[in-house]
Amino acid sequence: MSLPDRTITILVAALGGEGGGVMADWLIEAAAQSGFPAQSTSIPGVAQRTGATTYYLEIYAAKRDQLGGREPVMSLTPSPGNVDVMVASELVEAARAMQNGYVSPDRTTLIASTHRIYATMEKMQMGDGRFDSDRATNAAKQLAKHAALFDMRELAQANGTVINAVLFGAMAGSGALPLAREACEAAIRKGGRGAEASLRGFAAGFEIAAGTHATPEPAAKRLPPVMQEILDLGVARLKDYQGEAYANLFMQRVRSLGTNDAKLVGETARHLAVWMSYEDIIRVADLKTRASRFERVRQEAGAKPGEPVVVIDYLKPGVEELASLLPPSMGRSLVSWAEKNGKLDAYNIGMHVKTSGMFGFLMTRSLAWLKPWRPHSYRYAEEQQLIERWLGHVRDAAKRSVPLALEIAECARIMKGYGDTHRRGKANFLAIMDALMENPATADPDEQAKSIRKAREAALADPEGKALSADLGRPADASKPVIWLSKST
Amino acid sequence: MERSFAEEVGKLKLGDGETFRGEGILAVTKALLQSGVSYVGGYQGAPVSHMMDVLNDARDIMDELGIHIETNASEAGAAAMLGASINYPLRGAVTFKSTVGTNVASDALSNLASAGVKGGALIVLGEDYGEGASIIQERSHAFAMKSQMWLLDPRPNLPKIVDMVEKGFELSEASNTPVMLELRIRACHVHGTFAAKTNRAPQFSRRHALENPEFDFGRISLPPSTYAQEKHKIDVRWPAAVKYIRERKLNETFPGDLEDIGILCQGGMYNVTMRALQQLGLADAFGASRVPIYCMNVTYPMVPEEIVGFCAGRRAVLVVEEGQPAYIEDAVQAALRRNDVNGVKVHGKGMLPLAGEYTGETVLGGVAKFLEHAAPREMDVGHFRAAFEKLTAPKRRAAELLGGGVPARPPGFCVGCPERPVFSAMKLVERELGAYHVSADIGCHTFATLPPFNIGHTVLGYGLGLASNSAVNTMFSKRTVTIMGDGGFWHNGLTSGVANAVFNQDDGILVIMKNGYSSATGTQELPSSPQHSPHKAQDMGMERAMQGLGVGWMKTVDNYNVGSVAKMLKEAMTSDYQGLKVIIADGECQLERQRKLRPETARQLAAGERVVRTKYGVDEDTCTGDHSCIRLSGCPTLTIKDNPDPLRTDPVATVIDGCVGCGLCGENAHAATLCPSFYRAEVVQNPNAWDRLVAGLRTLITH
Repeated sequence: MSLPDRTITILVAALGGEGGGVMADWLIEAAAQSGFPAQSTSIPGVAQRTGATTYYLEIYAAKRDQLGGREPVMSLTPSPGNVDVMVASELVEAARAMQNGYVSPDRTTLIASTHRIYATMEKMQMGDGRFDSDRATNAAKQLAKHAALFDMRELAQANGTVINAVLFGAMAGSGALPLAREACEAAIRKGGRGAEASLRGFAAGFEIAAGTHATPEPAAKRLPPVMQEILDLGVARLKDYQGEAYANLFMQRVRSLGTNDAKLVGETARHLAVWMSYEDIIRVADLKTRASRFERVRQEAGAKPGEPVVVIDYLKPGVEELASLLPPSMGRSLVSWAEKNGKLDAYNIGMHVKTSGMFGFLMTRSLAWLKPWRPHSYRYAEEQQLIERWLGHVRDAAKRSVPLALEIAECARIMKGYGDTHRRGKANFLAIMDALMENPATADPDEQAKSIRKAREAALADPEGKALSADLGRPADASKPVIWLSKST
Repeated sequence: MERSFAEEVGKLKLGDGETFRGEGILAVTKALLQSGVSYVGGYQGAPVSHMMDVLNDARDIMDELGIHIETNASEAGAAAMLGASINYPLRGAVTFKSTVGTNVASDALSNLASAGVKGGALIVLGEDYGEGASIIQERSHAFAMKSQMWLLDPRPNLPKIVDMVEKGFELSEASNTPVMLELRIRACHVHGTFAAKTNRAPQFSRRHALENPEFDFGRISLPPSTYAQEKHKIDVRWPAAVKYIRERKLNETFPGDLEDIGILCQGGMYNVTMRALQQLGLADAFGASRVPIYCMNVTYPMVPEEIVGFCAGRRAVLVVEEGQPAYIEDAVQAALRRNDVNGVKVHGKGMLPLAGEYTGETVLGGVAKFLEHAAPREMDVGHFRAAFEKLTAPKRRAAELLGGGVPARPPGFCVGCPERPVFSAMKLVERELGAYHVSADIGCHTFATLPPFNIGHTVLGYGLGLASNSAVNTMFSKRTVTIMGDGGFWHNGLTSGVANAVFNQDDGILVIMKNGYSSATGTQELPSSPQHSPHKAQDMGMERAMQGLGVGWMKTVDNYNVGSVAKMLKEAMTSDYQGLKVIIADGECQLERQRKLRPETARQLAAGERVVRTKYGVDEDTCTGDHSCIRLSGCPTLTIKDNPDPLRTDPVATVIDGCVGCGLCGENAHAATLCPSFYRAEVVQNPNAWDRLVAGLRTLITH
């Protein structure tokens, strides 16, 4: 009988705590049961502390007693163009494997879970720093000889086990391993603890990769709403927020744009609806005390039926929250006093409110009952004034250039968060409005649009505003919001 | 301890005719027992942490054989322990990570190497180089050269590694010289098999004690002995070593039919070189190569006769030597020149990169380039380049398809880590008082230098944080801060840091992370661990040690209370007290805590007892998606998800499964006045009648 001319190589990319080491042990055990020489290695070290790590295995698919005492030479590191089975426990790890050259069209079976675990760098952006998943799946389909891509984490959870079992099953089911299903299952059984659940996960992964069960369809992606949907959603949201009249104001503002460009109207309306339903203390109190919210918390906390759930909210209202409720003149003087004396954050009261309890609920709910007062409050006056100013710029720009108007509309996105984060965002927004909308350095709408886009991206790039400052050639001051003089650029 | 080898240590008992199956480090331990060691020790650090763990878990077997095991205080302590082999026929072995551990150990190693040994002394080095490394990139080779200790670099398969451990002791005794065995990261963790031998009880041990001490001034590192020792190294020990290496054939030559070329490689580089040759169609699966190979399982001392013998008559050779400077390549050149072998072109760095790990891709590229250049007879030279291009084409295609690099995923703090909140507090203090200099140290806390914290300006060595702060501290008008872990404290920080700062009346701030274990290396025990194994002293507090040294300002804070930590830091920053101010940041390593909690909770739940489970969460409809909470935390379970609000596009924050309820995100929301979106959910499992009644009444109101 002729012997294989090379080893079968398996590279596993996983994150700390996903049981990659256990899976490597299963593979080695299954190989041993089949009588095949095999070797595994890994680089645990600090990588196991939440970082990305890899396990690398080689199996020589011939029984040891046929080798005449010879030992195959196995490598401890993977080589590009030389990986038979590439396993990734997460989508970006699959992308990383491709990036490193470990997925080749003539050889590699790629087994990857399509769920995402976001890296710190993706999570910490002010805006949306997520890697484009479609790019990864598309590349996988083009680069792998055969690809089994589905959400294995979900499947693992459904079977009450860890992802390593499903991955192992998918490997075996794909037919790329020189190991029989029975040998793999025996290896899991030998592992002992949690074997039954692991075997369920293994079977689930196996069936899908082998094609005997259909690949679960990923949840259909929500399409971005089009103009009419946005208008409907906006009206409903603002009716809920402040009533019929306020919703009418929204529609009136939309109509005042005076353009038929569906994208511009849609995008402006989207930002307008979000802005008009700004998160003041009344809104937060309202959202926190809805029955639907308590249901959601139960679900997120994974409470079983019959298990009571106590909900404690972390609230810390201060000068600004108080001022927002006062009549405009009083609120204004309180805020300007606090700003002058550096007291904006001086009097915040940290509260752990048991919102699910009687007292906590009533206290919070009573704030929500202030809704009718909102139109007479300082914050309301401030927000409406700024909204009108921004809307005016969108309207004016729409007459010159739709792309420019879109850029201006999009700037509303900078203002998010609460407290200090919100102040910083608002300051950045005002600065951009002042320098690039009201006093632009160029008369060319394309150039102006470009400069606004650049400044907006800079404002979202980092919270300290260093990028925005650098964009405008100013020294950064990490402790203060970015303010720069107009026309100085 | 993070990983228990209790089950696997049974393999250490295997005898003649049985097959050992397992990890490299465990195989080395088995080889030590087969070699009849009298004592073992070391200091934990990747990639040899597990060797210390294995030794500790194998205490029973060790006791049976009378072997002494020491958990040394540092690598210096471990190396010094080898002094037992200077005068007595005792075989001893220690292990630590290299080069950092070897740096720490080098004082003792120099003295040991000068005095020479009677009993075999073996140092197992975990060469932490390349992918997965956590330290500065240097090589251990230089230590071997400067002290004339021998360096073994076996082919990375278990039979060879085990064989080299056994031969290492013999070499050590044959040449009266300590021997280092270098294992790279993957070799430490390689899983394979070898034919076991029965363990050998040492001649002298705890069971068979030495009778009389032996005095020999010739073995003392004090002139005039040191002059004689240096001469002895050169005149006697070195030739003896070379003789042993040649006679016992520690280095291997593999023939090949392409006789006009050849490859010389470190033992540890053999497998990756072989794989490159296989990929280029010049070797089979069993290592039968068309290119002749000289494999150096001993990389120091080199054997000039063997090198000359291998190279002479060839047109070109390639030296595959990982790391820089290229000591081996230079020595090969010198050996050939000294022996007037001038017709061989020696390639090495140039075909292969000077710096960096020799991965599969690197060696493949280097070997292909060498073959193309050396043009072995009767070979189509273009074939090698074409093969390399074809193998690496998917990488270039992937770069196009993925469009820019995928996000990096460096290691970070675990879920619920007690060190994270301290850095959140430091961020808040920075926001208030402005930026300040932070001297960092080695430990999990070094991860704070990565996003999202980016805290820590310098790292100078394990336990050296405070020492590294002593001059910079006087150069700022604002006070500076030093971070140190309890591991670093006991390793070195107590003397070179705390005692030194008190003695010199330095006015710094020291934050000690008291998490109770040597956590980064696998949660090994420390003198101040909250609980101890039976064979360790029970209570050695850092606080009492520092009081004894005269630290006058020492306060303890609960890490998870971010506000108090920030307040304490501010107090230390602004206090009138002149002198070292120590803040003990108290929080047990969450890995260990959960390891104790989980089985207990499972037991309670199974017994039907009332258990309150805490999970934190973010209200998706009040979260505006600015992610400032993430920039202050970095917790793996505090992440993002698609915004459920169809009118918003940026993702919202969310807390996923795995949250251990440490409370940091809520504390941060408070301490930094972030937002009102965080909540704590307390799920009452196995509720009692009262719980159900209260819950029923509450639901009436809230629904």
